[in-house]
Amino acid sequence: MPLIDRRLLSYFDWTLFAIVLMLEGLGLLTVLSASYVPSAHRMDPLFVRQLIWIGVGTLLMAGAVLFDYRALVGYSYPLYVVAVLLLIGVEVIGHSSGGSRRWINLRLFKLEPSELAKIAVMFVMVRYFRLEPPPGGWGFRHLIIPFLLLGLPTALVLKQPDLGTAIVLVLITGTLLFVSGLNWRVMAALMVAGMLAAPLSWHYLKPYQRTRLVSFIDPQADPLGSGYHIIQSEIAIGGGGSWGKGFMKGTQARLNFLPEETTDFIFAVYAEEFGLAGSLLLLGLYACLVGRGLWIARHARDRFGSLLAIGITGMIFWQVAINMMMTTGMLPVVGIPLPMISYGGSSMLVTMAGMGLLISINARRHTF
Amino acid sequence: MNALFKSRRSRIGVLAFALAGLFVLALLRLTALVIFDGPRLDSLARSEHTGEAELAAVRGPIVDRFGEPLALSAETRSVYARPARLFASSTASERVKLAALLGMTPARLEALLMKPAPFVWLRRRIAPERAREVEALGLDGVGALSEYKRFYPESDLAAAVVGLAGMDGQGLSGVELQYDRYIRGEPVELTFYHDAYGHPIFDSPLALKSPEPGDRVQLTIDARIQSLAENRLAEEVAASGAKHGTAVVLNPFTGEVLALANVSAHPDPVRDRLHDSAIQDVFEPGSTMKAMLASVALEDHAITPTEMFYCENGAFRVDGRTIHDDSPHGYLDLGRILEVSSNIGASKIAFKLGAERFYRGLRTFGLGRRTGIDLPGEATGILRKPSTWRQIDLANHAFGQGVAVTPMQLAVAYSAIANGGLVVRPYVVESIRDAQGRAVLTHTPQVIDRAIAPAVAHQVNVLLRNVVYGPDGTARRAQVDGFLVAGKTGTAQMVNPVSGRYYQNHFVASFVGFLPANDPRLVILVVLYDVGHGHFGGVVAAPVFSQIALGSARALDIASDAPPAYDTASLLSIDRLLGLSRKSGAQLSDSLPGTESVADRSGASGTATPDFVGLSLREAFATARRARLNLSVTGDGYVVRQAPAPGSPLARLPVKLQLASVDDSPSGASARALARGARPNLSRRAP
Repeated sequence: MPLIDRRLLSYFDWTLFAIVLMLEGLGLLTVLSASYVPSAHRMDPLFVRQLIWIGVGTLLMAGAVLFDYRALVGYSYPLYVVAVLLLIGVEVIGHSSGGSRRWINLRLFKLEPSELAKIAVMFVMVRYFRLEPPPGGWGFRHLIIPFLLLGLPTALVLKQPDLGTAIVLVLITGTLLFVSGLNWRVMAALMVAGMLAAPLSWHYLKPYQRTRLVSFIDPQADPLGSGYHIIQSEIAIGGGGSWGKGFMKGTQARLNFLPEETTDFIFAVYAEEFGLAGSLLLLGLYACLVGRGLWIARHARDRFGSLLAIGITGMIFWQVAINMMMTTGMLPVVGIPLPMISYGGSSMLVTMAGMGLLISINARRHTF
Repeated sequence: MNALFKSRRSRIGVLAFALAGLFVLALLRLTALVIFDGPRLDSLARSEHTGEAELAAVRGPIVDRFGEPLALSAETRSVYARPARLFASSTASERVKLAALLGMTPARLEALLMKPAPFVWLRRRIAPERAREVEALGLDGVGALSEYKRFYPESDLAAAVVGLAGMDGQGLSGVELQYDRYIRGEPVELTFYHDAYGHPIFDSPLALKSPEPGDRVQLTIDARIQSLAENRLAEEVAASGAKHGTAVVLNPFTGEVLALANVSAHPDPVRDRLHDSAIQDVFEPGSTMKAMLASVALEDHAITPTEMFYCENGAFRVDGRTIHDDSPHGYLDLGRILEVSSNIGASKIAFKLGAERFYRGLRTFGLGRRTGIDLPGEATGILRKPSTWRQIDLANHAFGQGVAVTPMQLAVAYSAIANGGLVVRPYVVESIRDAQGRAVLTHTPQVIDRAIAPAVAHQVNVLLRNVVYGPDGTARRAQVDGFLVAGKTGTAQMVNPVSGRYYQNHFVASFVGFLPANDPRLVILVVLYDVGHGHFGGVVAAPVFSQIALGSARALDIASDAPPAYDTASLLSIDRLLGLSRKSGAQLSDSLPGTESVADRSGASGTATPDFVGLSLREAFATARRARLNLSVTGDGYVVRQAPAPGSPLARLPVKLQLASVDDSPSGASARALARGARPNLSRRAP
């Protein structure tokens, strides 16, 4: 087999690639605006780093395209073990920021293992469910091992604490369970159980998570405290209007009213500067991306590829959905980056690897 | 349902629908946020990131009529720090230097900087040079802003007129308040963006325009007269034990206020600026009211000047109450009633006039309504409707009890008598000019009403001279060297605010008069509040009037209408030249304080008409007073002719004197110039 299969190029998904490039471009612009410091006359180091991450990410994507995803079946568990070990490492030698311990400082960059955990959990689930389910779908007894596999990293992520990533891990697993053929009664039972368990989980929430829930219900209860994020975010998005204040002209982010403006709340920066029109464009790009991912899953050559595509698409979708709903006040504040837009190396690399795999799955549906 | 979930592909289809549904949900929420909440959120954003600041303008100066500054604003600098930046950029020794420049201990500075605030004032309102030294240290996180400080260079001079401006440069009282919109200038309103920490963003649209300085206000107040009035009044307040005193000096023809002094026994620099007793406090005028009574009665032809009133030998019962005179009198005419200040005579005139006509007359004199002076917070006084007056009330009004006026109202009423009958609006601001010197506002005299006819005003003017010069006059201490004075004393019992009854031993003593009586230039009112028994208007207020009048007349260079006795000493050699040296001995003794003015001459104390020829007007009046004669005078200067002739038997009729001026001779002119030059200059703020 030559280094680059000619068929890879002829079946290369240029549409998906273009969407990814456009999202990265928009993300880079927004990071540039959000990190801009009026007094500094040079580019912000944050922007430069993001530029580097996009470069590395694109290389990783290219590598993933070339890679035959079927070979990854064998790497699922080692990847999972590495991710879990790194999560444990966070507990031991982790780097704290903003009240939680999420990073391992590698000098060159700070690794965020919970990002790796998303793709690792996805891989083990895809591997576990790669065989056709028995008639009637997967039953309870088939779920014991997946739940254990999910439970360990989820518990470690919750310990950091990082509620957002834990939720995404659960949602990715849930999506995969659904598509892989879970017995619908079991699924209904799990959903009911989840709803009943939600109030009980209150007791396990950290105090700051509880106040976030309270301020989600009534942001004005503490407008300068726990309600501040959501109020400022809504002000930025609503203040942007239909056509936005223009690139680099958003007031709320530039004047430091908006918190976490380069990461979790970057959508508010984007929406303020590019308005509702820009937000709809972004939403449309994500919708195309997700639609394309589902299409690839549906048309994948094998079940493993199909589930892998579902896992990657689900990972992107749930992060986009939770992030947007959080910044528009539909969900309580949980820390979730907006894929390809938010600043962050680990998230960028994981997402780009996923995109590469999607393209790879698509390109290989014609190869036998 | 099973069919839907049967194949993986159909499940992916279901998933696609579910995810699309969530996308639509997010889309709807976004749209709602922008379309429905957008305007509200946008204004929230604006209120968050725009700040407004006012660059204060420098307040305009307030000066007296000759440009003497009474209120000025000076630039001061206020030093602030941004503690975090200062700590980050400075060493401990630099901060010690900073503390030394600010005149505080290093520990105090550190304590200020420890405050958990992004911005702290280190020292406010220091001299610009000091602030420059601080800035020269070049510390990051330390800066200075301009602020203006109001100060009053003449201390408490005309404090109540000038008023007070607050820390934020806003007028609080007096002219500072009344003309605040002129004085305050035009501050610049700045709108700028600031970030979440409150730092202004300098590339945001800043209106770079400097504030317009305030206008310059020129008062009608003459600082020399004001100072004199305050000092004399303060002396008398201390000497008489009064609680406080008020003096007003008006130009009767224009209403210009030349001096307005309030002096308290216990001065309080802030209260004295906030409260202007002369226009905000009322008192019962007492006998000073009798001049208005006489004016109204003569104007309405209710009485004639020669009509005699029986004064009941000092006690007169009205409505079951007894009206007393200080000393018993029989029949008196109007002039004598004023001269001896007979309450009973005044009551009888009031009865003849009637309540309605008296009331209307007092209203036209401006009582019971504001004078319209250009100062804030003026009181209206109390003048009850005549329908509520009983006989005793009518009688009380006649001698100024049961009615209340402000000092300014009384001064304005006497101005009407002095100026021939016109009630003028008093004012304290002459003109206002902007920073370029253009007149923004100029006051011109304004007549509000005619109270009495010129002839009546002249009659009352002449009658009021008796109060000062008449043998039984109550205000003989109001006499002024070289000037003919007309006026009236007043002594009113004060009302006990608790019981509502009159105190037996608390009085308001006053004197209000004008000079020169023949051509009034000044109306001067002196009121002393809460003096004890015996401290009547003629005793305590009249001498203050005399002192203020003399000083004012000198300051304004008002020509004498009675040659001053003290001047004759300097005129001695001229007198000799003029062949008048035969009287020099008498004049010399006259200039010594404490001696009677003119030595008796041919039978002044006897039954023959004295010799007036060669005397100055003042000497002639002094002689006539001793001989209990009235004079009728024409011309000015020295007496050259008299009728009846010296030595002829004394008659009740006035002695007619013809005077001639020394101006007629060339040497006379130089003599006058000499005399004027010899006058000591009035030193400002003299004790």
